[in-house]
Amino acid sequence: MNTTAARFRRTTLLIALIGFAALWLADTRITTGDPGLELQRIASGFLAPDFFASDQLIPAIGYTLAFALQGVAVGFGCGFLLALFWRWRLVRGFSAVIRAVHELFWGLLFLQVAGLSTLTGLLAIAIPYSGIFAKVFGEFFEEADRAPAHASPIGSDAFSLFWYARLPLVWQHMKTYGAYRVECGIRASAILGFIGLPTLGFHLETAFRQGDYNEGAAFLYLLMLLVLSLRFWLKPMLMPVWLIAALVWAPPRGNVTEGSLSRFLTQDIIPAPMRQADWQWHQLGDWSSMLLHEQILPGLTQTLVLGTAALLVTGVLSLMLFPLISRQFGHPLSRSAGNGLLVILRTLPEFLLAFIFVLLMGPSMLPGILALSLHTGAIVAHLCGRFTDTLQLRSDASHGLNRYAFEVLPRIYPNFLALLLYRWEIIMRETAILGILGIGTLGFYVDSAFSELRIDRALVLIAAGVILNLLVDAFSRTLRRHLRLRHSLSDLG
Amino acid sequence: MTTTLFSFQQHTLKRQGVSVLSSLNLQIQQGERVALLGISGAGKSTLLEALRRQQPKQSAWSPQLGALVPMLSVFHNIYMGALNRHPPLYNLTNLIRPMAREWQSVAALAQDLGLSDKLRTSVDRLSGGQAQRTALGRALFSQRDILLADEPVSSVDEQQAEALLTMAIQRHHTAVVALHDRELALHCCDRIIGLKQGEIVLDAASSSLSISDLDPLYRRG
Amino acid sequence: MIQRLPAALAALCVSFLLSACGTPEQKPVLVFSAIPDQDEAHLMQRFGKVANYLSEKLDIDVRYVPVKSYSAAVTAFRNNEVQLAWFGGFSGVQATQLVPGSYAIAQGVEDPQYLSYFIAHHSSGIPYNNTVTGDGFPDGMEGRSFTFGSKSSTSGRLMPEFFLREQFGRSPEDIFSRVGFSGDHSATIALVQSGAYELGALSYKVWLREVAEGKVDLNKVNVVWVTPPYPDYHWVIRGDVDQRFGAGFADRVQQALLDLNDREILDAFPRESFIPATNEDFLPVLETARSLGLMD
Repeated sequence: MNTTAARFRRTTLLIALIGFAALWLADTRITTGDPGLELQRIASGFLAPDFFASDQLIPAIGYTLAFALQGVAVGFGCGFLLALFWRWRLVRGFSAVIRAVHELFWGLLFLQVAGLSTLTGLLAIAIPYSGIFAKVFGEFFEEADRAPAHASPIGSDAFSLFWYARLPLVWQHMKTYGAYRVECGIRASAILGFIGLPTLGFHLETAFRQGDYNEGAAFLYLLMLLVLSLRFWLKPMLMPVWLIAALVWAPPRGNVTEGSLSRFLTQDIIPAPMRQADWQWHQLGDWSSMLLHEQILPGLTQTLVLGTAALLVTGVLSLMLFPLISRQFGHPLSRSAGNGLLVILRTLPEFLLAFIFVLLMGPSMLPGILALSLHTGAIVAHLCGRFTDTLQLRSDASHGLNRYAFEVLPRIYPNFLALLLYRWEIIMRETAILGILGIGTLGFYVDSAFSELRIDRALVLIAAGVILNLLVDAFSRTLRRHLRLRHSLSDLG
Repeated sequence: MTTTLFSFQQHTLKRQGVSVLSSLNLQIQQGERVALLGISGAGKSTLLEALRRQQPKQSAWSPQLGALVPMLSVFHNIYMGALNRHPPLYNLTNLIRPMAREWQSVAALAQDLGLSDKLRTSVDRLSGGQAQRTALGRALFSQRDILLADEPVSSVDEQQAEALLTMAIQRHHTAVVALHDRELALHCCDRIIGLKQGEIVLDAASSSLSISDLDPLYRRG
Repeated sequence: MIQRLPAALAALCVSFLLSACGTPEQKPVLVFSAIPDQDEAHLMQRFGKVANYLSEKLDIDVRYVPVKSYSAAVTAFRNNEVQLAWFGGFSGVQATQLVPGSYAIAQGVEDPQYLSYFIAHHSSGIPYNNTVTGDGFPDGMEGRSFTFGSKSSTSGRLMPEFFLREQFGRSPEDIFSRVGFSGDHSATIALVQSGAYELGALSYKVWLREVAEGKVDLNKVNVVWVTPPYPDYHWVIRGDVDQRFGAGFADRVQQALLDLNDREILDAFPRESFIPATNEDFLPVLETARSLGLMD
């Protein structure tokens, strides 16, 4: 058929084939034992959260917010500067590289130099976020209408044109996106607790790993409360106040001890065989080949398999979930329930879902796939559902399944595919956290390298991850271009 | 004896809370072919929607914005007129792979509409006139007795417009069509209703009217 | 949001500059840490008491910083963020290797004879056995799923892996159908008890404590093999503390630890008492780590 839908179908088929191949390759064996007792304890923990078990609650919230606000603000500023030079390939490449490294890995790297300090927390968020902001803002500028600039008097200087005819067109979008990123920043900041920074994640992870579910539930509820209440307190007017408060609470300061930076640069990151005075090339060759065969290749394969399988499941889940909140289906009551479900799913950190699924199904890739897909699927479903609300269907449009298949799905499919492909890169990035939980992705080997204090290996593994991410991103961009999908400004999630 | 299909007595029709037609008195009998005339904003679309509310099950509906699904083929867009006649799973199957039976009946209709070679093309690749014919096709494919159409041929060229409209009207025992082409209205319909400033200012058999009689409808003041 | 972005960014820059100027000279504070091997939620309570005790004995401010992982403890020690640390066998030798001049000063009286327990889910059918037999592993372990504790744990990873390799002549990945790292000893118990893994290995001290606290259902999970004894936990101090805190400081810290007889504080570790230790005591651990490829 010579239809636009046919092109979407072919791409869907392609993604589905790749996804099924990945699912088939993935280790999805379910080894259920006796999860009953543990699940019972988790459930009772969530029913009776203990907010007084820890005296670290308030400082943990303070640090979580402080790192998030400072990191997002610095990322916003640097990303904006980078976006001004978005035409330059170098800037685009640089942004792609810094955002391909997960916050956790940035954190682990800075830990080596700046110690367990506020500076580490700030930079771990600010650096990848600069890359993300640069990309999004760069695309805002690219997609913005050029007519006002063209219509300005010939000879107007580029600087004035920028402030008068370019920036105002995208400023609103930038602010909205910035606000959304604060939400992500809070989650990222909490997750940084996993590697020892004193945020909510520190206590959350401890509590869940130790089985103190009442305490863990309390920290989790607080995290969700922070994220959900954002729109009530994160007002534009108050932003400077919050930032200053964040700076006062946690002034960015590193525990940089004498020589730690130069040691890091001249010893730690140098491949181990090259540190001897009389090293030889073949030693470096052996080292590289060992790393490649024992860690990089298995890590990359697993990451790719897990990420791709998760992409398929995410797609299926979001297509099933979006009608729950769409005004085209159901009634107000069912939509509120649907909204509640999606909010919970996308606020629950992936690691927690993965943790519970490991107890339920045993330690295969399945918990990781499900955790990533549920979380991402809820986000995609949310954005798709919101988009369907803007559709104007004729008053005699069919109902139920007919409405879904004939009216709604074809109309939102371009947006859905664009979102899904855009999320692919993010899913691959998030497999890092699963690695830290012990699922054999590249993150697992990076974590092992850090725990063996082999920063040289960690760096090579991180670089391999960056290359994989860039390739996935390039592939997804090709697909998007083939489909002529331009994610409109509101689609970025 | 004739049946009254539509009837308004001292009705006020509102659109988004604003009164568009007030103190409306109107009756339309089975078998009539009615043209609604008037400048844009006179209330033609509002009246058509009100008519449709009175006979929801019998009306074939062709709204002004065709409300087609751009990325689906002409076949599927026309087939959508029949969604209510089949169970959802049948429709879904037909969406994924058109069935021979449905294909034949849609193709026959498409031939009459001059869309035979476009059945496999998605609507976003059609011209405005072709898209409009597709929309009309959906209304026809719903196989109902009353045609309610809002400017169904405004983007089709003049020669074809008349043939198309005549064909559409002939396939229904009753038709109410909003038009802006006065000549077309006089040729294809047997009753003309003229709207102006929220009121019916003209209601007469087309045989008793000439083009110039319709001019006041379009004059200011 | 971010209406006043420029102002906020300016504030951020200023504070950066201020922080770069450094902090004024302060009274030196001894900072110590400990590997988070068990009961992490109460690290602050447990080691806060140790800080108070040392502070009193040494007449100096002593602060405890909690860390999230074994390697974070080593990194903090290496970066001189902490000057004293309670390490496991492996993290201890990592630290002394990375920080020239640092050395072991004390260990628990139990530590020269430390043990790991291999535990199994009841469904595996492997018989219960909690004594050091000197015999090989029981039958029926191969091909099952198995979890270590933390990747850097001596009793939860290093020594169990050493004995596995020694007796099977193969890597754990080849012996078992699946090998995982639970993260810590308590988590190993939870995972094997829930059946997520069929087998696990962990510190005998944590097992005994959790059994005593009633957290373990012995019908579901129990000990199936005990390793031969090996040296484990110890206190390590940086070599440059004497310069910083005054001559003889390291010796005073050592004495304070050896003198420790407050039951409540000792239970935080938990150890009966502390005895002197030297770097040489842990050479076997160092060799094991090297043989497993965990150190260069």
